[in-house]
Amino acid sequence: MLFSSWEYIIFFAVLIPVYFRLEQQYRNYLLCIASYYFYMSWRWEFGFLMLFVSIVNFYTGKKIASRNTGNRKAWLFGGIFISLLPLFYFKYANFFLESMNVITSEAGYDISNLYVSVILPVGISFFTFQALSYSIDIYNEKIKPETNLVNFIGFVAFFPQLIAGPIERASNMLPQFKEKHVFNFDHFKEGAMLFIWGLFKKIVIADRLAIYSDPVFNSPELYSGQTIFLATLFFTFQIYCDFSGYSDMAIGSARILGFKLMQNFNLPYLSSSIGEFWKRWHISLSSWFSDYLYIPLGGNRVPIRRWVFNIYVVFLVSGLWHGANWTFVIWGGLHASYYLVEYIGKKIISYFNIESIRNQKSYKYFRIFVTFLLVFYSWLFFRANSLSDALYMSGKVFEFSGSLWFGSSSVTTLLSLALIIFLIVVELLQYNKKIPVYINQESVFPKWLVWASYIILLLGISIFGISSNAFIYFQF
Amino acid sequence: MFTRRLNSPFIYLLGFISLFLGADYLVHKGIQTGLEKYYGISSENEIAFVGHSHLMLGVDKERFEEEIGKKVSKYTIEGVNVYDRYLMLNHLMDENKNLKTIVYGVNPWMFTGSGLSENSYQLFLPFMNNELIGNYVKKEMDGFEYWQKKIIKSSRYNERLVSGSMRGYLGIWSNLKFGNLDPEKYRKRIENGDYRQINSLETNRNIFEKSINELTSQGINVVLLYVPTTDLYNDLEPREFSNELDYFRKIEKENDRVLYFEYLNGWESNYDLFFDPIHLNPEGQALLTEQFISDIEKNEEKLSP
Repeated sequence: MLFSSWEYIIFFAVLIPVYFRLEQQYRNYLLCIASYYFYMSWRWEFGFLMLFVSIVNFYTGKKIASRNTGNRKAWLFGGIFISLLPLFYFKYANFFLESMNVITSEAGYDISNLYVSVILPVGISFFTFQALSYSIDIYNEKIKPETNLVNFIGFVAFFPQLIAGPIERASNMLPQFKEKHVFNFDHFKEGAMLFIWGLFKKIVIADRLAIYSDPVFNSPELYSGQTIFLATLFFTFQIYCDFSGYSDMAIGSARILGFKLMQNFNLPYLSSSIGEFWKRWHISLSSWFSDYLYIPLGGNRVPIRRWVFNIYVVFLVSGLWHGANWTFVIWGGLHASYYLVEYIGKKIISYFNIESIRNQKSYKYFRIFVTFLLVFYSWLFFRANSLSDALYMSGKVFEFSGSLWFGSSSVTTLLSLALIIFLIVVELLQYNKKIPVYINQESVFPKWLVWASYIILLLGISIFGISSNAFIYFQF
Repeated sequence: MFTRRLNSPFIYLLGFISLFLGADYLVHKGIQTGLEKYYGISSENEIAFVGHSHLMLGVDKERFEEEIGKKVSKYTIEGVNVYDRYLMLNHLMDENKNLKTIVYGVNPWMFTGSGLSENSYQLFLPFMNNELIGNYVKKEMDGFEYWQKKIIKSSRYNERLVSGSMRGYLGIWSNLKFGNLDPEKYRKRIENGDYRQINSLETNRNIFEKSINELTSQGINVVLLYVPTTDLYNDLEPREFSNELDYFRKIEKENDRVLYFEYLNGWESNYDLFFDPIHLNPEGQALLTEQFISDIEKNEEKLSP
């Protein structure tokens, strides 16, 4: 069930009054049923997989916290191992076998008959990571174990953020499952506004940009350097609008029900460094890797070589988290390299004592531009269908050769460009704090103008919305 | 108590929905009026062009009007199939009782069952209040989608229709495709099997013949116009291609009120006139319009009512 479908709108419209009319003690049961219905409407059998991961972590948490447990570490690693098994099987088995086959076939052994034929369960990386954070937090004594299984199942399966995040923490979510939420019209307005903006980003901007970028990325050899550049630019905004649109709809839906999810995006393309970009892009995943991988590896409180190793591990694993393909690994590796080069740059600036240029506005804009270019280039690897396509395109993208393809409909392509400009204007207003990035913040514009703008957004969705494309991040 | 009611979420929501539906209706009316101007529906024009993108980009309506001295409707929509065109003709005839001549865009691929836009019905949604079109789109959509389009009227449109409407208001009918065909690029595509085959279906031919018969029986002349396509496609299935052209020639022979014009020699290998293998660019359009006007003038007697 897609957020951008009427099916979801009806499902949610029915759920809201039922949820608030129900007595408190039954509400979490309802949320569990609704969340499993939401998930199983895609493929019912994978609901059991999610239930399995939930139960494993619920009991792992209990065991770790129990005074009678001898080896807490063994229980933690056992729980992590069992939770990761489905993820490895469904997502990484073929990647591993195909990569092995490249080596073994050189030696005359073909292992392609071992490849498994599986469908990747939607959102498996998200709910697995969310469940794991619970066990690890209990081990680190940051939280106490949840005693109510229904609350825990609800936390792992909470439908607004189940399929593509934000990846929530038990410390933020489980207490909210115990609160009594009353219907609050302000929450409803905030949630609905965020949902409308997210929907606009998804079905008006992201899906329209895909009309141009998809054919180019699917057959790059047919297109010129200029066209590859434009397709990569379109994909840069497509993935942002697709994913941040989903997050906005998730946060908005949860807000209507009285839950507060964490912010997942904060104007990432206006970052002035790669480090800042990762504090603004997919914040819930970046902080997950920081808390549960980077810091346990020693973070930056280690010798420089080890730190470089840590940075590469985090970014390469992040790449693999996104997809079982070498293109994602290179994407992660590129970001690790950017991060390190940036670090060296900072050191040079400090060494030569030219800190004053840092405070200059023009220098800041220059850094925003360079950061954007670096991120733009890395998306090419992220989106390419294969490593050979990625290498071919990366060689052509800055060539600006050949004639520019205007798309199957030049009207659609021109509208896509206009929408990108519109998005940039909105984000600049948000950056300069003229309009809020997220809910609960005041706008400098009068109320009637805010309402009118939402009516215009709805009309935009109605006229220009494309309703059939699944969200890109579902595949992760 | 009254104030409390006014502040209630229900009233807010109702107000917002009413405002939205009001704005939705105004937007719908605005776009629809522009589209009617663009297509020349609800006019008293004696001549109408009906077809899909070939014809849309192939003939310059304004130049044609100037030279012939009559106003022309250009009801052309991308990707429409033979049945869609039947609807368009009926829609035009419903709204305009003054029609004397229809220029109907034809090509050897038009009877192929697949390859054209499968959701071309969406381009008729602005006119779903017309009975025939309303019944057609109702058949193509599920009940939920149909009622959604009925209630939220702006959802009947998309950017192509909005662009058409704006062109209607601004009076712009020019071919805005720029650039020339890159034959090498398309040869590669054709090698990959990326082209539309000729596979005529009897049912589609029957609909076409029904359209022609209905028009001619009402005293309307029909000009079948084959806007040129390149030999990159024309030569792929020479036997089938030739059979299709023979079929149009046969239709012309069998009916006094039908004329058929095809433009192949001197056109199909002149890639500078094309934007892609099947669509003319502005230069090609100018040349074809000139030639077509000249051919129409030569046959003026046959086309008189």
